[in-house]
Amino acid sequence: MGNQNGLLTCKGGEPAPRPTIVAGTVAFLLFLPLAISVPLATEILIWTIFGLGFNILLGYTGVLSFGHAAYFGLGAYAAGLAFRYWHASVLTGIALGIIGPMLLACFIGALAIRRRGVYFAMISLAFGQMLYFMALSPLKHITRGEDGLTHIPVMTFFSISLNKPLYLYYFIFVITAVMLFLTWRFLQSPFGKLLQAFRENEERAKACGYNTTLIKFFSLVVSAFYAGLAGALNTVYLGYVPLTTLFWLTSGTMVMMTILGGRGTFLGPLVGAGVFLFLQNTISLFTPRWELIVGSIFVVIILLFPAGIMGTIQEKVAAFRMARQKT
Amino acid sequence: MFADIPWTVIVLQLFFGLALGSIYVLLASGMSIIFGLLGVVNFAHGTFAMLGAYAVFIAISLSGNFFVGIVSAIIIVAVIGAVTEFFLLKPLYVKKDELLPLLLTFGLSVAVPDFMKIVFGLIGKPVSYPESLSGAMLVGPFIFPNYRLFIIIFTLAILTFLWLFLKKSDLGMIIRAATQESEMVQMLGVNVSRIWTIGFSIGVGLAALAGAVAAPMMSATPDMGVEMTMVAFVVTVVGGLGSLGGAIVGGLFIGLVVAVAAFIAGEYANVSMYFCMAVILLVRPRGLFGEIGRE
Repeated sequence: MGNQNGLLTCKGGEPAPRPTIVAGTVAFLLFLPLAISVPLATEILIWTIFGLGFNILLGYTGVLSFGHAAYFGLGAYAAGLAFRYWHASVLTGIALGIIGPMLLACFIGALAIRRRGVYFAMISLAFGQMLYFMALSPLKHITRGEDGLTHIPVMTFFSISLNKPLYLYYFIFVITAVMLFLTWRFLQSPFGKLLQAFRENEERAKACGYNTTLIKFFSLVVSAFYAGLAGALNTVYLGYVPLTTLFWLTSGTMVMMTILGGRGTFLGPLVGAGVFLFLQNTISLFTPRWELIVGSIFVVIILLFPAGIMGTIQEKVAAFRMARQKT
Repeated sequence: MFADIPWTVIVLQLFFGLALGSIYVLLASGMSIIFGLLGVVNFAHGTFAMLGAYAVFIAISLSGNFFVGIVSAIIIVAVIGAVTEFFLLKPLYVKKDELLPLLLTFGLSVAVPDFMKIVFGLIGKPVSYPESLSGAMLVGPFIFPNYRLFIIIFTLAILTFLWLFLKKSDLGMIIRAATQESEMVQMLGVNVSRIWTIGFSIGVGLAALAGAVAAPMMSATPDMGVEMTMVAFVVTVVGGLGSLGGAIVGGLFIGLVVAVAAFIAGEYANVSMYFCMAVILLVRPRGLFGEIGRE
């Protein structure tokens, strides 16, 4: 769909990333724990998975959801409850943590995806809050309310105990690598191209005979898959489910990471998660008020570089190539 | 189960619901004006309400008078709003992406509460009820707390004033015209950009008012803003996007629902309004007063 031309799609469209980029990213993540602390690296992986899905929705389809904490949190709670009450195996818990959010996305999508962009953003936020308050008090006897879900047993994967940080990191690393590859394939697929066609020109995609509501709906459900997976992995990583997984700021963090990294770029989620978490961790050393600084940076990004880090780099590279072709 | 609840208590709860709903109406009508005029969904709406609550706290501690506090809260927040619109939102209009202003105001709603925590501390600032409005009024067997009564009457007065302003004054007429057809108004020689700034500051001024009158009931806390944004969103979805009538009916309706839920099933008080929204989306997707096609 004309996506090879950098000039026509400078609004965040990108040429298909080469397979070497995927392989290079995976190799980079393989050695990441050598450079930074293992917990930080693990968090980056989890948020990257979350972001890969969110980027499909916001970056490639152009739908803004402010309620993705609902899918992330539901995934975390579904896995946590299965681990705690049924002593489920790690893969079963993760599977439940994926299915639950996908069903929720079907429900919310059926109700609200037809609404225009800003309207959907408001509705998704409200549904996210609904889940938060449900977990906070009416369902307190199951979710343990404000304390979060504790007493989750240590997970084992084929008799490898996942309580060693480095084992856990490589467990999640394998999943991340698979998700990176799948996402890359997905975006090259006809359906992935369709999403981008829809983002570039909804009316035209409609005129070509595509059911744009259905496209948005599927995009939402796919992103809930990633969010649920990330949520479930977060439970495995933390060994408990904090109530904040459902909080609106979790959705907000995802939005900030995606914009920061560059919406609609393949590496945006990884760069966004990495930079955001690094900033957050560094600022937290000096002051608990990281939201002020990160929020202000976000405002500046929206004003000056709405394409984000990777998007801006791509624009610059494209402009540089254009200039060179002319001379 | 309800048979043994006396009528007076039920009436009192409905009355609480009306007072709460009045605050919601102020919030949502500001949101509605901003969206109608600028097409901006103001994520920081509750943040401006929070600033209003702090402004009333500061003004009262300086002047000692609650009503001076309310007036100065509107003025302070309206000025902050105008500055925000002028420097932060205006550069985004040319980009023709309606998600960008939403994202920018979202960024503000993350950063500003933290700033308030640094300046005023983590713990909320209590705002005391004005002396003249404490106590309650007895009508037959029914009790009506004075401050709640004040909120209802005050909201009514503000809405009447707003209605007169929009319908009768020249500026109001221009604002209504710009809501409908901003390009045409621009061509007729009106500086629409300035009208947007004014409209935005009126909208956040109404939010500040909501925060200011709510302050004595919940005290001014840095994190109250997001809750209020959420309320404004839900009321807007229930009432219909960009409709002032919808904001009024939706606000009162949600206020009553929350008050009744708090009374009969306390733990569902927070959740009730979201259920309400889900039901409305099922049966009437464009909201009670929404125009077809706007959603």
